[in-house]
Amino acid sequence: MIQIRNIVQSYGREHVLDNISLDIKENAITALIGANGAGKSTLLGVASRLLPVISGEVLLDNINIKSIKTREVAKQIAVLKQTQSLSLKVTINELVEFGRFPHCGGRLKAEDREKIEESIRFMKLNDIRDKFIDELSGGQRQRAFIAMILAQDTKYIFLDEPLNNLDIKYSVEMMHIIRKLVRRLNKTVVVVLHDINFASAYADYIVAMKDGKIINQGSVKEIVCCDVLNNVFDHDFNIIEHDNRRVCLYYGHNSHRHGENSHIHEENKHCAKLTNSTNQQDVLSHDSTREDLKTNKNKMQEFFKFKYFADKFKSKKAASNSNAKKFS
Amino acid sequence: MIKLNYRPSKRLQKIIFAIIIFAIVGAIALYFYSRTYAKSQKVGLPMTAQAFKSISERIVGTLVGMSVSAFIIAFVSLAFQTTTGSRILTPSMIGFDSIFIGTQTVIVFFLGTSTKIFSNVYLNFAITAGAMLIVSMLMYGAVLRNTKNNIVFLLLFGLILSGIIRSGSTYLQTLMDPTKFNQLQAATAVSINSMNAKLAIFLSPFMIVICSIFLIRHRSYNILALGEDNAKNLGLNYLKETNFNLVMISLGMSIATALIGSLTFLGLLAVNITREIFKTNKHFILFLASALIATFALVFGQALTELTEGSVPVTVIIDAIGCSYMFYLILKENKKL
Repeated sequence: MIQIRNIVQSYGREHVLDNISLDIKENAITALIGANGAGKSTLLGVASRLLPVISGEVLLDNINIKSIKTREVAKQIAVLKQTQSLSLKVTINELVEFGRFPHCGGRLKAEDREKIEESIRFMKLNDIRDKFIDELSGGQRQRAFIAMILAQDTKYIFLDEPLNNLDIKYSVEMMHIIRKLVRRLNKTVVVVLHDINFASAYADYIVAMKDGKIINQGSVKEIVCCDVLNNVFDHDFNIIEHDNRRVCLYYGHNSHRHGENSHIHEENKHCAKLTNSTNQQDVLSHDSTREDLKTNKNKMQEFFKFKYFADKFKSKKAASNSNAKKFS
Repeated sequence: MIKLNYRPSKRLQKIIFAIIIFAIVGAIALYFYSRTYAKSQKVGLPMTAQAFKSISERIVGTLVGMSVSAFIIAFVSLAFQTTTGSRILTPSMIGFDSIFIGTQTVIVFFLGTSTKIFSNVYLNFAITAGAMLIVSMLMYGAVLRNTKNNIVFLLLFGLILSGIIRSGSTYLQTLMDPTKFNQLQAATAVSINSMNAKLAIFLSPFMIVICSIFLIRHRSYNILALGEDNAKNLGLNYLKETNFNLVMISLGMSIATALIGSLTFLGLLAVNITREIFKTNKHFILFLASALIATFALVFGQALTELTEGSVPVTVIIDAIGCSYMFYLILKENKKL
């Protein structure tokens, strides 16, 4: 069990983390969310011993992490920082072998090789295991590093923005992998996520940070709601419930020009009705959800079209005004 | 450079090693030839057995010195590159030679040339190496630890520091009387030709110890190459490791500089050629191969210099090749970004 107690971390005079205490839920995905500079990555770094603790303590099974040998900690906690571009001549196979370093110090034994094979199979890297990591795509490289961490065979896994630079397909794949780690291999995963929708869809537990403090924590249901998120991100959120999942629309259509396009509000109401109706139906047929999606998509498109023309119209009007002024 | 992006097989690796060793043997033979028979032909004197023997003794001393320096430079450069995570940096770029000249100048200026510290080779070496060690440790400590491997800052810092030391020693030299100055000049213009063979043989055990320490720890260098975060994740005590490395690097650099002066690009060249050929991160191979390549470059270059009667010093050749190679590396890195 990892417990974080009264951590205060500062760069210069500014407190990046301000008296943070947190118990990390075992056997679950904990997502750290928050705006840029909220201290998510710093908290992750401190909890995973990458950053030295300035004040406060991190307890691993009730022992201060500082007093445990780094080698021993590495058998318990694995951490992966943001997507890295190493221009080293290291193959995937070798990278995964490095994962066994805390256990064997670089001299591989039979059980180490077994673990390596296992994690390569788990991450489906067998076909490309002899490729150099600097010739892989972003998604493959990310998978290779996750495989290294799997080979490390730790109970706790910390990931700092694993979806950075990944496109939609790879992001979803990555989150599925992370969920598999928790459900199948009984790992405890803490992950910093930028996209609130990924947190909403995959996390078991969400910790919301702002200005170096934890301002909210709880299950997805408790955190992904307008009041909390508006506060966390200083932004107006619109949350749709679909298929029992919450999806956040944060592209700013609530705050823009309230008077001008009242029909959008009507649309929103309509959306709400739609989602309500889907909630009432216990069993959802696939076709209907698809249609819902389609109509939603169409509406979004219409909305953006409308916005586009409205903006264009506005700029034209401004231009003609200035022209008129010139003539007079 | 070889552009193929695959790694040579284990068998091929062994063959490459064999080729390099043959090349070194060839270079040594060429060096012997250039200093004995080639020279005797040019001068017009017959090569007697007696003369051959006495020259050979000197040659062996020079060869030991060259291989000691080449090994140390290659090992230290590789360790430095791995620690700083940069392929275009060598410790000598930071200006060890200026510290060397600075210490000698200070000794001569304040204590004169007759003092034991200056005239006794071993004592002199100990003092200069110590000074280099202290200065470089302070520099690394101030720059590398606080600013998280900020390489540009380190280079800038080294450049400025060596500039200050150099101009300071020039100032002291202008104040000296001419005889002192001449003796100082003779002592500081170290090169392979004027290498002290006694000192070289004295230092070879140190070289063996330093190189074997690097070799024994090759596994942790493999991890260190993955960068700070990954190394920490894998349970390496990063701070301890880096500090230890910096001590070893300063020690090695001071030995090499005191022996043959500054060879800025030898390490860079040897390490990068090795990386290109072997395409591996296994530091055991990298250490050995780059040391052998550095030895070959130094001995072969020196042999060529002897054959051309010193018209082109070997350091100039190596620096010319190394410099153009460094341009290539910088341009390549630049393209990637």
